[in-house]
Amino acid sequence: MTYKAIIIDDEKPARDIIRTFLKDIAGIEVIAECSDGFAGLKAIQDMKPDLVFLDIQMPKLTGFEVLELIENPPLIIFSTAYDQYAIRAFEMNATDYILKPYSRERFIQAVGKAVTKLQNGVAAQPEVQMLIQTADEKEELLQRIAVKTRHKVHVFGVNEIIYLEAEGDYVMIHIKDGNYLKEKTMKYFESHLDPEKFIRIHRSFIVNAEAIERIELYDKESYAVLLKNGASLKASTSGYKLLKQILHM
Amino acid sequence: MIHPVFQNLRSISVYFGTWILLAGIHFSILFFQFRIPLNISLADSLIYNGILCIIGIAIWYVIRYSMPGNHAGFSFIFNHFTSLVLLLVFWVGTGYASLNLLFRDNTVYLNFLGLSIPYRFVIGILLYAFIGLGYYLIIMYRDLQDKAKAETRLNELLKESELNMLKSQINPHFLFNSLNSISSLTITDPGKAQEMVIKLSEFLRYSVSSNINTFTTLEKEIQNIQRYLEIEKIRFGEKLVFEFAMDPGCYSRYVPVMILQPLFENAIKHGVYESIEPVKVITGCKTFADYFEIRISNDFDPSVPARKGSGIGLKNIRERLRLMYRNDSLLKTFILNNVFQVVLTIPNKPVENNLKQ
Repeated sequence: MTYKAIIIDDEKPARDIIRTFLKDIAGIEVIAECSDGFAGLKAIQDMKPDLVFLDIQMPKLTGFEVLELIENPPLIIFSTAYDQYAIRAFEMNATDYILKPYSRERFIQAVGKAVTKLQNGVAAQPEVQMLIQTADEKEELLQRIAVKTRHKVHVFGVNEIIYLEAEGDYVMIHIKDGNYLKEKTMKYFESHLDPEKFIRIHRSFIVNAEAIERIELYDKESYAVLLKNGASLKASTSGYKLLKQILHM
Repeated sequence: MIHPVFQNLRSISVYFGTWILLAGIHFSILFFQFRIPLNISLADSLIYNGILCIIGIAIWYVIRYSMPGNHAGFSFIFNHFTSLVLLLVFWVGTGYASLNLLFRDNTVYLNFLGLSIPYRFVIGILLYAFIGLGYYLIIMYRDLQDKAKAETRLNELLKESELNMLKSQINPHFLFNSLNSISSLTITDPGKAQEMVIKLSEFLRYSVSSNINTFTTLEKEIQNIQRYLEIEKIRFGEKLVFEFAMDPGCYSRYVPVMILQPLFENAIKHGVYESIEPVKVITGCKTFADYFEIRISNDFDPSVPARKGSGIGLKNIRERLRLMYRNDSLLKTFILNNVFQVVLTIPNKPVENNLKQ
């Protein structure tokens, strides 16, 4: 059985070496090569590969943003010169994370892991756990967010966020130009946004401190946070406490 | 802390000179104003001022040892009050007793002496306050001097460490990505791989071996930039286009070592890394009478939200230029029609005359 692979990397030599190494591995066929995130996203959606070699820092969309926007992602092997994204990569169920420059052996090992997974449909968890433990980097905060509407992908900086609202299994992101739904949890945003700036004022709300106009007592137990754009959000007692602490009220 | 009176010959003469002057005034008042005989006026003046002159030196220690802690505290007032009372009693008492002994028979003078005691107390308080204030001013002045000295030293240290930090600023990801390209080329195009290893080595040698506090010719700096751009060109191919439009006179001018590399790194990072269209990096240089101007511009995609970290490189360059030329406005940036431009104005001579090659 032959598995289909796509290579997404903005540097030609980096794509070349993957293709060259793959030539010597039976059972994997490269069906496309892309040099930016948009093209990569489109290729994955159109061609439904089994395996994707994905760079992280790329024009238009980063590797993570591409992965987030795919509905049923194929197996992903990240290949990057940055070591600080390993934890995030494995959180996103990446099959492997290889650091550039890598040896042929390391590459074959990564592909082997993917092939095993493809054949059995089971994850090689222990190794992943070990890798996460040895990676001693701290998690990076989000700087921008990519969302997909029916036909388009929007990318915006986190500074543009006014507030986030829980919507069942999704989070509604309110920015100046509109609202976007993202398949993530409030907890995810709470831990990936700057806690000095984005405050969890309620089970259902995270607000950008800069968007707050004023805060009023709502009833005995809760407060209303009025925003500059006119919206009014409810703050719980603990949320109000946090708000007070961060805004030094 | 050394006693301010005994700092040097000058401070000693000022202190004792002042006391001689005070003694003279004292004597004149007694002799001319109150018509007291010469020998008695002289003795009165010498005894009273002599004692206070010696006690005045001792007041320094009261001040030194009541200095730490908060000045306005209770112990401060208590210390000074106690020392003032002791001083006055001792001073007026000893003076009175010795003059009484000396001029036992002169009842007119002794009468005057008795009457003058309250005034002597007042004068004692004033002189104590005056001496104390003098000492405090000296301590404050010394503190200020120490602080200024420490600050200068700190700035020097800061400058040193900052420059060292700037020097090690070659982006490790650039290095690893370049090595990955070389790794790839060794298989697909060994000749090119060899070429790239040489370029990367030369680039690294230049970065590592140049002393960041020195200056070099623009020619050497541009050669290094060309190597850097050629390495990036191998990575990004058609996506990176670069052009140089330099006045020939520019090449012999001096610039701080490695001042340009971060600017080109910036141009590549925000231009080439974020774009799928070819990005043109244009470098120009014009000479003027006592300065020259380097312009670096790159196209960029305005739809890409700015990432964190943009601006740190520029801030460092501005800081380096400020330290070397003592001028805040040598680096300017412009954004016009999706082109980002950096303009460096480099004076022909840095402020400190430390031009090294």
